[in-house]
Amino acid sequence: MEILTQKNAAPPSSNYLLEFWRKFQRNRMGLVGLGMLTAIILVAVFAPLIAPHVPGSSLTIGVSDIYKPPSAEHLFGTDDAGADVFSNFIHGARVSLTVGFFAAFISIFIGGLLGIVAGFFGGRVENFIMRFTDVMLVIPELPLMVVIIALTKPSLLNIIFVIGLLGWTTTARMVRSQTLAVKSRKFVLRARAIGSGKAHIIRRHILPLVMPILVVQAVLVVSLAVLNESTLSFLGLGDPTTLSWGQMLNYAFGRGAMSTGAWWALVFPGFGIVWVVLGLTLLGQGLEQVFNPRLDTHHLMPGRPVVTSEAGVKPVKPGTLLDVQNLSINYVTEGKPPARAVENISFTLKEGELLGLVGESGCGKTTLMLALLRLLPSAGQIVGGKVFFSGRDLTALGEEEMNEVRWSGISIVFQGAMNALNPVRTVGDQIAEAIIQHVPTFPRDKISARVTELLDLVGIAADHKDHFPHQYSGGMRQRAMIAMALACNPQVIIADEPTTALDVMIQAQILELLDELRRKLGLAVVFVTHDLGIVAEMCDHVLVMYGGVTAEYADVDIIYNEPRHPYTQELLKAFPDLTKPKKKLSSIPGYPPRLDALPAGCRFAPRCPAAFERCHIEEPALHRIGANGHLASCHLIAEKR
Amino acid sequence: MNQEFLEVRGLKKYFEAGRPGLFSKDARKVHAVDGVDLTLRRSEVIALVGESGCGKSTLALLLMGLEDPTEGAVKFEGMDITHLNDSQRKKKELRRKIQMVFQDPYESLNPTQTIEEIITEPLLVHGMANTPDRDERVKKALEDAGLKPAEVYLDRYPHELSGGQRQRVVVAAALVLEPEIILADEPVSMLDVSIRAEIINLLAELRITRQIAVIFITHDLGSVGFFADRVAVMYLGRIVEVGTMLEVLENPKHPYTKALISVIPVPNPRLRHERIILQGETPNPINIPSGCRFHPRCPVAIATCKASDPPMVVVNKSHQAACLLLVK
Repeated sequence: MEILTQKNAAPPSSNYLLEFWRKFQRNRMGLVGLGMLTAIILVAVFAPLIAPHVPGSSLTIGVSDIYKPPSAEHLFGTDDAGADVFSNFIHGARVSLTVGFFAAFISIFIGGLLGIVAGFFGGRVENFIMRFTDVMLVIPELPLMVVIIALTKPSLLNIIFVIGLLGWTTTARMVRSQTLAVKSRKFVLRARAIGSGKAHIIRRHILPLVMPILVVQAVLVVSLAVLNESTLSFLGLGDPTTLSWGQMLNYAFGRGAMSTGAWWALVFPGFGIVWVVLGLTLLGQGLEQVFNPRLDTHHLMPGRPVVTSEAGVKPVKPGTLLDVQNLSINYVTEGKPPARAVENISFTLKEGELLGLVGESGCGKTTLMLALLRLLPSAGQIVGGKVFFSGRDLTALGEEEMNEVRWSGISIVFQGAMNALNPVRTVGDQIAEAIIQHVPTFPRDKISARVTELLDLVGIAADHKDHFPHQYSGGMRQRAMIAMALACNPQVIIADEPTTALDVMIQAQILELLDELRRKLGLAVVFVTHDLGIVAEMCDHVLVMYGGVTAEYADVDIIYNEPRHPYTQELLKAFPDLTKPKKKLSSIPGYPPRLDALPAGCRFAPRCPAAFERCHIEEPALHRIGANGHLASCHLIAEKR
Repeated sequence: MNQEFLEVRGLKKYFEAGRPGLFSKDARKVHAVDGVDLTLRRSEVIALVGESGCGKSTLALLLMGLEDPTEGAVKFEGMDITHLNDSQRKKKELRRKIQMVFQDPYESLNPTQTIEEIITEPLLVHGMANTPDRDERVKKALEDAGLKPAEVYLDRYPHELSGGQRQRVVVAAALVLEPEIILADEPVSMLDVSIRAEIINLLAELRITRQIAVIFITHDLGSVGFFADRVAVMYLGRIVEVGTMLEVLENPKHPYTKALISVIPVPNPRLRHERIILQGETPNPINIPSGCRFHPRCPVAIATCKASDPPMVVVNKSHQAACLLLVK
C-alpha cells in the first residue's frame, strides 16, 4: 500500500539539473536574460562570419569615409579612421566577453575557495581570511586597478588578472555565510558521525549547496567584470592592440565624435555594454528566484471573495457562541483544479467549552481555523457554508466589520511563539500595540496597567514587561502570546498547536493556564493539536478531521471509549498509553491524501483496515449515532444498521 | 555477552559561556553535562529522558565523539575512547559501530543526494564501497529499515519522501554499517503521532534482529511507550534516576521523575488525574543551584536540600535515584 501511495505522489525527477531546467523555463526574466546573453555570445563566437569588414581595417579609405553616418553599407556608420563600426562592434564583443568571463572565473574561484575555507574551518583561519577580505573591500577598486594597470603593461592578460584578482570579495563573503549555514545543518553533523573526513564533507555536502549561490554570483561578477574592463579601456588603459567596446568608446570620445555629432560611434558600443550587463543581471535575478523560490511569493495579495449560499442554513441554537455550518474551503491555483482543503465541516462551541480539533498535519485543521477569522492566504477561498458568531454570520461581513470581530470576539494563538513576536520590540510594547490596534479608543494612560494585568493573568511577573522576546524562555513566549490574544477580552480563543514545540512540563503548564483562563474568564477554546493525549486530558468535545472532512465528532468520552470511525480507532492504537504496558503500538500505514489528488470515495479508504468495495467508490455521509450528537462518516455505520 | 560494553563514568562537558567581561577573570561556564554515570549493555534499549537544556543531546554528542569531554571517561568494549579524535575513532571502527539518528529528518538528509547516494556514502567513507556486495548491502539496509522494495526508493530525493520515510532513510544509513549502538536523539518528536509508532517499532525490531543497543533520547517519556528496557532521567546535566522501565513508571522515586510521569497525557478521559506541574523552567546551566540542583523547583524539598548534593541512592539492584529523602 505504501508503494501505491508513493506512485500517486510526485513523479520521480530523473535528476537535479533537469528539474532545475523545468523550473527555470517558467521564469520569464531569467529566460529573457539567457536569450540576450546567448545572442551576444553567438555574435562574438561567429564574429568573423558576421562582420562585413575586417575590424579596424582602414586601408582603402579616404577622408570622406571618416564618421560616416549609418547607411546600408555601414549599418552602424564609420569611426574616426573610417572603419566600419558594426564590424568593430561585433569583434569588440569578443574582447569584452573574453575579459568578462575569464576575470569572473578568477574572481569566483578565489572568492569561492576563500569563502568555503573560512566558513568551514572557522576560528583563526576564518578571522584572518575575513579581515583580509574586509581590507580588500574598503580599498576603492577602480583607482587601484587604474594604478596597477598604469604601472604594468596594459595588455589584455594583465587586465583580466587585475579585474579577476580584485573582484572576489563579495563572493567570498556570500559563500562564507552560505557555508556557515550549510555547515550547521544536521546532515553535516551526521556525515561527521559516520566518519567522513573534511574533504569529503566539503565535496559531498557543502559544495552542492553552495553551488547555487556561486552560480548566481558568477553571473553577476561577469557583468561587473565587463563593466570594469569598459571603464579601464575608456580611461585609456585598455590593451592598445585589441578593440573592446570600452576601447571603441575611448577612441570615439578622444577623437572628436562628440563634436562632429557622430553619435553612432558612441551609442553602439555603449549599447553593447548595456545589453550584456542587462542580460546578465536578468539571468542572475532569474536564477536566484529559481534557487530561492521564497523570493517570489506575495503574502499581501487580497483574499478571495466568499462564496455564499443560503441553502440548508439551520437556525443557531440559543447558548451557542460559535456555530459553524457546512464550511468548505478550496485552495485555488491558476491552471489547476481547486484543492478541496476543507469540506462540509460543522461544529458548535458553547460558552466555556473546550473543543479539541485533532488531525494529522495537512488535514486542513489550520485552514479551517484561519477561515473562521477570514485570514486565509490569498489562494484560500470559502466556497460554502456559514460561520455564526454571537448570531452574526461572519462569512457575510465586510473586511472592516470582520476586523472588529477579530481579536475582540475571536482571537488566535499560533504555534511557534518565537516567530510570531517581533524580536526588536519589548513584549509589553507588543501587547500594548495589540490593544491599540483593535481598540483605538482605549485610554492611553490605562494601557500600561492593562498590559501588566494581562501578563499577570498568564503568570508573567510585571518586571518582565520591558524585556525582549529573546530574554523570554519558550514557555514564557507562549504565555505572552496568550496574553496578547486576551488583550481585547475575546469570547473565543483558537489555540493552534500552542504546545507542539515545547517540553512536556512546559506543555502541561500552558495547558493548565488555558484551562484556568477558561474557568476564570468563561472563554471558549478551540484547541488544535495532533496529540490525542492532551485532548483526553482537557477537552469536552472532539472533532477528528481527516483529509479535510469530519471523520468523527463527539463527546470526549465517546471518542476515546466508543470510537466508531476506523481512523479514530487507528489513531488511538498509535498513541502510547503508559497505563497499558502490554499494548503494542501500531502506526497507520500510508499517508494522508494530498488535497489536489483526493481518492474517490472515502478519503481514508486507502489506509483503512476495514475498507470494503463501497468505500473506494462512494464518499460516506456523516451518520448520526445515538442521541448525544455523535457523528461519524463511515459506511460501516450504515451497513451495520 | 553480559559484559558492559558502553560505560560512562563521571562525564562532564563545560562550554565557555561567551568571553568574561573586560575586568572579570573567571569565564562563565555552561555546565551542559555535569557528572554522568551510565552503562549500556549489548542490545539493550535505554530511554534518556529530560527537558530541553538538561544536557541529553550534549551527552549524545560526547558519546559520538563529536564533542570532546571536559572530564570523565567513556569506555567501549573495555577500551578507553574518551579523547580519541576523528581519525582514531574511524580507525578503531567506532565510527562504524556507533551510529546516530537525529531529530529532524528534514534537516539530516542532504537535499541534493539521492537515497542511494545517501545510503552508499557511509560505505564509501569506510572504504567498503568497492566490494561486490555493495548494492546488496544498500538494499538490505533499506529493506531492514522498512523501505520495501528498495528499488523504488533508490533514485528518489529526500523531498519526495514523507517525514516517516525520511526518518527510515536516516536509520538505513546507520544500518548499512552494521552498527552495535544507535543513539537516537528525539527521533520521533518531529513526526505525526500516527507514524511515530512505526519508527519506534522499527528500532524495537532492530534490537531483536540485529542485537543493536539503542539510547533513545527524548523529552517525552510517553512517546517511548514500553519499548525501552531501562529509563535514565536527566536533570540539569546529571542523571537523577535510573531503573527499569516498569520500576520507574510504576514506582518513581525522584520527585522530578514523579512530576514528569504525572504530566504524560493519558489517552483516556476517564483516567484524568492530578498532575504535578512544576513551576518555572529548567534553570540556566550556567548557575547550577547549590545542594540538590532540583531543590528550587522541588515540591517536597526540605531545608537540607539546599545545602547538600544528594548521592545516588540504591533503591534496589537495578533502580537508583539521587534524592536526600531516600537517604535513611
